[in-house]
Amino acid sequence: MDYVEKRVAQEAAKVASTTTEFLTPLNLILLGLFLWTTYTFLRPASPYLVPADPHATIFKVFTPRTLLPFNGENNQPVYLAVRGRVFDVSSGRSFYGPGGPYSNFAGRDASRGLACGSFDEEMLTKDLDGPLDKLADLTPDQLEALQGWEDKFTDKYLVVGKLVAVGDEKTVKRPSACGFA
Amino acid sequence: MTFFDQLMLQLDEGVTGLFGQWNAYSTLIVCLLSGFITFQVLTRREPDTHPFLLARQARGSPVRQENESPVYRSLAAPHGMPLNSGLNVKEPGASKWARGRDGDLRDIWRQVVAGVQDDGPTKGAKGRILTVLGTEHVTEHSLDAITRQINLVGQHILDQGGNRVGIYLPNSVEHMVTLFACAFHNLTAVILPFDQSDESVVSMLRRSAVDTVITAPGSFPFKNVVKSYPSLRQLIWVVDEGSAHMDWNEVPQGTGSSVNVSTWQDIVNEPPVDAGKELPPIAGQKEPRDVTIFWQSKPGTMEEMVRFTSANLISAISAQLFAIPTSQRIGPSDLFLPADSLANTHTLVLTLAALFCNASVAFNSAAAQANDLAIATRGISPTVIVTTPAALLKTHQEATHTGSSFIAQKLHWLQTRSLTQSGVMPIASALSSYYDRFRPAIGAKPGKLRLVYAAERVGAGTPPLSSQVLSDLRVFTGARVIYALTAPTVAGAVTQTAFYDYRVFEDKISHFGAPLSSTEVLLRDAGDVKNEDGKSRGEIVVKGPCVAGGEAALGVNGYMREDNTLAYL
Repeated sequence: MDYVEKRVAQEAAKVASTTTEFLTPLNLILLGLFLWTTYTFLRPASPYLVPADPHATIFKVFTPRTLLPFNGENNQPVYLAVRGRVFDVSSGRSFYGPGGPYSNFAGRDASRGLACGSFDEEMLTKDLDGPLDKLADLTPDQLEALQGWEDKFTDKYLVVGKLVAVGDEKTVKRPSACGFA
Repeated sequence: MTFFDQLMLQLDEGVTGLFGQWNAYSTLIVCLLSGFITFQVLTRREPDTHPFLLARQARGSPVRQENESPVYRSLAAPHGMPLNSGLNVKEPGASKWARGRDGDLRDIWRQVVAGVQDDGPTKGAKGRILTVLGTEHVTEHSLDAITRQINLVGQHILDQGGNRVGIYLPNSVEHMVTLFACAFHNLTAVILPFDQSDESVVSMLRRSAVDTVITAPGSFPFKNVVKSYPSLRQLIWVVDEGSAHMDWNEVPQGTGSSVNVSTWQDIVNEPPVDAGKELPPIAGQKEPRDVTIFWQSKPGTMEEMVRFTSANLISAISAQLFAIPTSQRIGPSDLFLPADSLANTHTLVLTLAALFCNASVAFNSAAAQANDLAIATRGISPTVIVTTPAALLKTHQEATHTGSSFIAQKLHWLQTRSLTQSGVMPIASALSSYYDRFRPAIGAKPGKLRLVYAAERVGAGTPPLSSQVLSDLRVFTGARVIYALTAPTVAGAVTQTAFYDYRVFEDKISHFGAPLSSTEVLLRDAGDVKNEDGKSRGEIVVKGPCVAGGEAALGVNGYMREDNTLAYL
């Protein structure tokens, strides 16, 4: 309070004087503020930018050999094949990726394993260069289970390719990924 | 005093000293500042649509083929969902949430006759059908009279053994009636572009194998056709009142008498008044027949004959209905004018869409040839117009010429700012009322126009409209302008600019917007032009339920811009 009293007395003792000049520092500051506000309101709006869409995956024809690397190791995406269609299951990396419970399926043809409900090694085709697993000896129950799994995969994951046997790549005509439904 | 106290004292003295300089000018500046901020805050208008929706107008598919771009679809038809293929036609008593069927042309006319079905202020409202003759004369046709004409004409053609009906008429009620008559009585309609040379007409008739032709005297080379096209069985003249007294049933001498000639008036006026009042019932109606159209590309080249199934047309119509936001939908209070020939599927689809919405529709037979909006809109005040880019360019040139004074240009600049910066249509204010004198004279009453459609025809040499021209047209007409890309084998449009898209870019020809909800577009590698990750460019390929044959390559190169709209390369 002491300080305030002293200051008030000090100011009161000053001779009252008002400048009539335009170019006082205060006026310049206020003018600058005004011009800046006007500029900010009236400047052309910068165009809205939305982040670019991620690049589309290219639909490829795979053979069991070329599919093998895509099991999640070395930063590769995780693919698995069901009845000739290759699904990108990278979003389920915790299941199908390295160390996951179903990692046997990654980079392989998982049709038989899904039909029989087993993740054993013997469900996978041994000979990668041979023909694909025809699934001819599955019971109707197993086929139904496989269909259920395939539908689930189609709903959840993206089809990024087609699986054919080694040597059949050239015979495949333009594979179609998606047409209008 | 301590250092801190000294500092405080200096600060105090500094601030007080600064504000001690306050004078009248300071007050003035502060008043201006607060006035400006208040004005800006109070007059701020929200953009018509969120800018993020304009920044990304289509979605590409997550998977693409090696030599193609991702498949792009409009945001209204996401990947995995089927494209728009039907009108969702419901029986009159059905619940609003019941699933309707796809429908066909017959359901469109039934909807016209039934009136608006949705509960609301416009329930039961029906549109009017008008014909504009000359400059002032506007006649209205009652819907019952038109239904009667549909029934009688269709029945007459059937009785005479007709199967494929060629329509060689300008935009008119008779054109529309014949189209619906073919739909209701299971005849195939063939729409020929009007005002062609004799050889073109004969060639088109031969290629489409019509056995009945409905046409107007004076433009149809009757003698030539009868000589060169012996399969013609029936001819119906649409005669205007002035010449109705003449005997049109006479076949010129020397020509074969295998052609049965009659007039529209005879067919419609002879049967008793009660005949033909009821439309054929829905139950037991046969599959809808195809409609064949001829696509005119550059003058001198032969027209391309395209056959559209009823499903193609219905899908295109439903996509056009979807393209307009709900609050701006066409309704009974709108007057629709096709100022472009109905032989173009884009115009035809929009006219049928307007009819389906129970809007009033006006027909002007001179509109398509005139290529001038002022002439086309004489006598009426349309709210929605379909026109050609040539007519729009003419309007633009005239208006730019009229408004070339300094003040007019500054006002134009202000209104353009409202469009491009604020994303809203300029509102009428005291300032803009000065600008009104520079507006082009469209319609009998100014200010009614709210929507203008124009279509770029692939390979047909239509003049290009840049986005600056489109924006200027929005300012001149006070209406929204939609620019579409159309192609021979696609019913309706391939892509279309968004309703609320007012952005201006530096270009010679504007982008064409995003695909409609009935089409999906991809770009295929063509020669040197190749697709890369993130850069989609190549030959434009369209797929969808409105494409004849399911898929069509347009033969022109395009690319997808950053906002996923299609543009020519």
